[in-house]
Amino acid sequence: MRPRTKKLLFSFSLLVFLFFYIPILFVVIYSFNDSKLGTVWTGFTLEWYGSLFQNSQLISATMNSLYLAVITTIISTILGTLAALALHRYTFIGKKSVEFLFYIPVVIPDIVVAVALLAIYGILNMSLGLNTAVPGHVAITISYVMLVVLARLSSFDSSLEEAAKDLGANEWKTFWKVTFPLILPGVIAGALLAFTISLDEFVISFFTLGPGDNTLPVLVYSMVRLGVSPEVNVLSTIIIAIMFIVVLVVGLRMRKRGEVK
Amino acid sequence: MGVQMVQLEHVTKEFDDTNVVDDLNLDIKAGEFLTLLGPSGCGKTTTLRMIAGFEKPTSGKILLNGQQVDEMEPYKREVNTVFQSYSLFPHMNVFDNVAFGLKMKKVGKEEIKERVTKALKLVQLEEYGNRKPKQLSGGQQQRIAIARAIVNNPKVLLLDEPLGALDLKLRKQMQLELKHLQQTLNITFIYVTHDQEEALTMSDRIVVMNKGKIEQIGLPVDIYERPQTRFVADFIGQTNILEGSVTEIEGDMARMEFSGQTIDIPKTNEVTQGEEVYISVRPEKMKVSSTPFDSSINLKATFKEKIYVGSVTKIVVTMSNGKELTINEFPDKIEDFTETSDIYVNWSPNNSVVLKK
Repeated sequence: MRPRTKKLLFSFSLLVFLFFYIPILFVVIYSFNDSKLGTVWTGFTLEWYGSLFQNSQLISATMNSLYLAVITTIISTILGTLAALALHRYTFIGKKSVEFLFYIPVVIPDIVVAVALLAIYGILNMSLGLNTAVPGHVAITISYVMLVVLARLSSFDSSLEEAAKDLGANEWKTFWKVTFPLILPGVIAGALLAFTISLDEFVISFFTLGPGDNTLPVLVYSMVRLGVSPEVNVLSTIIIAIMFIVVLVVGLRMRKRGEVK
Repeated sequence: MGVQMVQLEHVTKEFDDTNVVDDLNLDIKAGEFLTLLGPSGCGKTTTLRMIAGFEKPTSGKILLNGQQVDEMEPYKREVNTVFQSYSLFPHMNVFDNVAFGLKMKKVGKEEIKERVTKALKLVQLEEYGNRKPKQLSGGQQQRIAIARAIVNNPKVLLLDEPLGALDLKLRKQMQLELKHLQQTLNITFIYVTHDQEEALTMSDRIVVMNKGKIEQIGLPVDIYERPQTRFVADFIGQTNILEGSVTEIEGDMARMEFSGQTIDIPKTNEVTQGEEVYISVRPEKMKVSSTPFDSSINLKATFKEKIYVGSVTKIVVTMSNGKELTINEFPDKIEDFTETSDIYVNWSPNNSVVLKK
């Protein structure tokens, strides 16, 4: 590479990273800001970290978000993985159409899913609550899990399954001893994607949650209309820290297993 | 010996309306090293996969040690396979790979350790138990794949071109090692290859397959010296095929007219007068000279080229009908032929193999 090109590429990458991380850095810094207004720096404090845990609204919204994300991740990961296995392994009539149907939720706007679900709940005369957001979350995350696992399966050598059967493993054992461990990185990646998408999902939650139920994004949205409170900065900082650690741990473990080169 | 270990009765396998394996009948004896040999697409691998249980025959029966198995799942059959791509489990170390089959059979921990160690020792890799497969070379992976199969004491070991990915020298070495292993363990080996030299080196019997059918079954020497069809003669080693008609039969010899010349051929395969036949003569059975031979076989041709291939030199000559013959000579015995110079080709009539059309 020519030195000038190298310099140009470096500055460009730097700008991109700055663009990503400066706002996040500000959120982290302002979580320690002494001012209630949050736009002017007045001094260092840990006060908001304390008061966050007194804010029952924020805590319950966080718990709701985590609950939804965990349920969504479990359902989507299981169903998405099974769907990927079925599409990879079997040939059946309408396979292409089924595969196509799985791509749709990736490109369809969330608002369409939200309105459609709301309409169905109306027709069925169901009252809205926390769990009524689950189907929507699953609908938009399942395709991601399926796509990631399917990508992993496409590089999977099916003669390994034959080798396992040849050595006396039945279908069940072959899956758990050979197939599953080998597609596990894909399943984990899919689950992480599903978890993150569900955690910051706003539109579907906004439409399909019951009146008293808030998830974090919905609550933050209603809070920022009255100005960003420092507690929101604190919460964001904690979430960033947790996600950072999760990604780091997963990345390190995968490197140890030799999955990432 | 003598007991039938694997029997295929009228086995046919159809894929998309073509018979990949077509009405195959084959008996394989216990303790035998049998090779299925043929070009790619001849059905040899499909036959092996049906014995292993990965494919079910469209029709026909497969018997393993007298028991019908063609509908039995692969994990219930007492056969093990060494795969072409080795198919070692990448997430397990060498020890766990070899122990996999024993664990599935719920063998006790102590016994597993003992048998795996013994199997690894047999393939000379007992130090490598803790390595992952991808830390091993191709040849080592190959040995692990063999250890993983034989540790289960299978009745039959199926090998699907197991040496295909190795370099020539290692392949030659492994051929002998596999042959010795088979003799030590006294397990029935069914070996699939497209490499005729490999088949000749290792096998007790060779089954030559073409287009889903058996062309010939026999000892390596039969297959090489006495091919029964033109396909077998052509596929095994290099040969010269001459085409002509039988003009005369006299005692146990016959004569064939071939592009204006008459040559003696052995009277085999019940040839009749006037019949169109092929004869096959191996390049190493032919001799060349710049002066005519005092023999009933003295084909006149023109010299085209000589190719040095190490142990022998190949001499290519063009016959009067435009076709070429290849003759193998030892390099030190070769006269100086110049291009387009006349050359005479001779061989003993008994070295011709007569093939019916």
